[in-house]
Amino acid sequence: MDIPYTVTARPDTGLYNAKVGIWLFLASEVMLFGGLFSSYIFLRVGADYPWPVHELNVTLGFVNTLVLIGSSVTVLLAWANLKLRNIAKYKMYMIITVLCAGAFMVNKSFEYKAKFQHYSVTLTDGTILTGHLPHGYEIEFGDVTTLNLTVAGKHSAVDADPVDYVLPYIKGEAPKFKTESGEEIVLDKASFTKLRAEAHEKAVAKAKADGLKETPNWNIKLTAASPITFVLPPSKLLAKPVAGATAIAFRDGTTVEGKMINDKMTLEVDGIDLRATPDKEKSLAFNEHYLGEPWKKAFIDQREHAIAEFNEKYGDGKGGTTRDPLKSATHQKHMFFVPIHSATPEVHEHAKAEGEHKAEAHAPAEHGDAHGHHPEVHLERQHVHFFSNFTPKLNSYYAIYFTLTGLHGLHVVAGALVLGYFVVFNGRMLREDPERLANRVEVGGLFWHFVDLVWIFLFPLLYLL
Amino acid sequence: MADSPQEIQKQVKKILLIGAILIFFTVVTVALSYVELPSHSLNIIVGMILATIKAALVALVFMHLNHEAKLVYKVLAFTGAFVTALFLLFYFSNIDPLVFKDF
Repeated sequence: MDIPYTVTARPDTGLYNAKVGIWLFLASEVMLFGGLFSSYIFLRVGADYPWPVHELNVTLGFVNTLVLIGSSVTVLLAWANLKLRNIAKYKMYMIITVLCAGAFMVNKSFEYKAKFQHYSVTLTDGTILTGHLPHGYEIEFGDVTTLNLTVAGKHSAVDADPVDYVLPYIKGEAPKFKTESGEEIVLDKASFTKLRAEAHEKAVAKAKADGLKETPNWNIKLTAASPITFVLPPSKLLAKPVAGATAIAFRDGTTVEGKMINDKMTLEVDGIDLRATPDKEKSLAFNEHYLGEPWKKAFIDQREHAIAEFNEKYGDGKGGTTRDPLKSATHQKHMFFVPIHSATPEVHEHAKAEGEHKAEAHAPAEHGDAHGHHPEVHLERQHVHFFSNFTPKLNSYYAIYFTLTGLHGLHVVAGALVLGYFVVFNGRMLREDPERLANRVEVGGLFWHFVDLVWIFLFPLLYLL
Repeated sequence: MADSPQEIQKQVKKILLIGAILIFFTVVTVALSYVELPSHSLNIIVGMILATIKAALVALVFMHLNHEAKLVYKVLAFTGAFVTALFLLFYFSNIDPLVFKDF
């Protein structure tokens, strides 16, 4: 059967059929992205934190914009050359278009990866430290001699499974365990299945003896031959342990008693955000055990420099400014966000100009910091209010950033697959019915331009403004 | 749709020109975002106007919306209405019928 109106226009619509189809599809796509752009406005207007401006990598975003505009042009050139039957050029431009899509996604993946590896830690006084967690965040809990397992009587989300949920976090080799009956076992899948079956049997027997309707939970106690230390991220526990906890519960319901050896968070700091700190000079970040006086001084220098610059730029000559410093997000950031590029503070340009610390400014950090360019702090558990990498969990900006760019990225991939398909698999159509293929390329191109069009709005909204 | 070879050659020139204009506007958008206008809202407005101009060029020239069959415009009229409604949600959210003014 022949599909009608693939080349010529249908008299009543004035269009070949595929074009009606693509426009219907694009009409619904506009509404999909429209809804998300609308949520962007909601989230931005309702944000209770300084909205990030120029926080993403502008260069990467800019390059990606050029790549998309370029590919929008090349897909049109491919179509034009196919119309003119310059087959070699048609193929070349199609391949360039698909390669552009690939380049876009590679850039995007660099961007995403950097966000996944970068952390933001909010301290209890509102100060935010950004940086890297060299080993992730792990706590050390030791002096554990007994595992208390709970075998659920009926189907339950929390049910003893120590082999998968407890053993992997033991520091060093897992010791042998003694069961309540005095038998010594190596805890593994086989031995636990046996233990579990015995426990279940006892629970069923008890239910029968006591006339219970439901099988009760049954506890198993395993005593370790030597004390155990656990090293694990707190996310592997049922609840975040409080400071100085003497017991922790694993996600399979197993509890252990012992001692918190270390629950400090090691962070390589690359930025101090004081915008939400009420008393900035008394910020926890400048605590002597953390960044200390030198960085506090660097902050005060930076703030004074920012104020001087602002007054110079907007001063009205009568001691006031023509612009409200509280309403300038840029000024707030210049004053209260301290980027950190070196292990010890550099002397500020401002101070340098006064010629006081010239020699010091050029002296490299002599502390031989193994981690290179960032000071390392060991944050007390009770000082950490919230921490997350730069993912949707962090704040609503990153939530909408990942939703919008993720969905857009999927469109780029889909467009590349469709256009790639035309070059690779439509050889026969190219020989026998090039006009029909030209229409296909035109329709695929329409989708591709739409993807470009969405990016035209995404780039300034997320990266620049 | 222009189908004669001369027409297509002409179109190619136009496509390249529009591509160059788009890149130019992108550079302007990035540069302007680093200039502090009297208020940040003004930065946003100017940035969005530039983006709208770029989007219009893509839609009108690259997607040939400057000369398309009537049906396409009819379809897009619906989209336009719905998208406007989606953006007005933001405005409607200021009016909350569940909150009494003098409460």
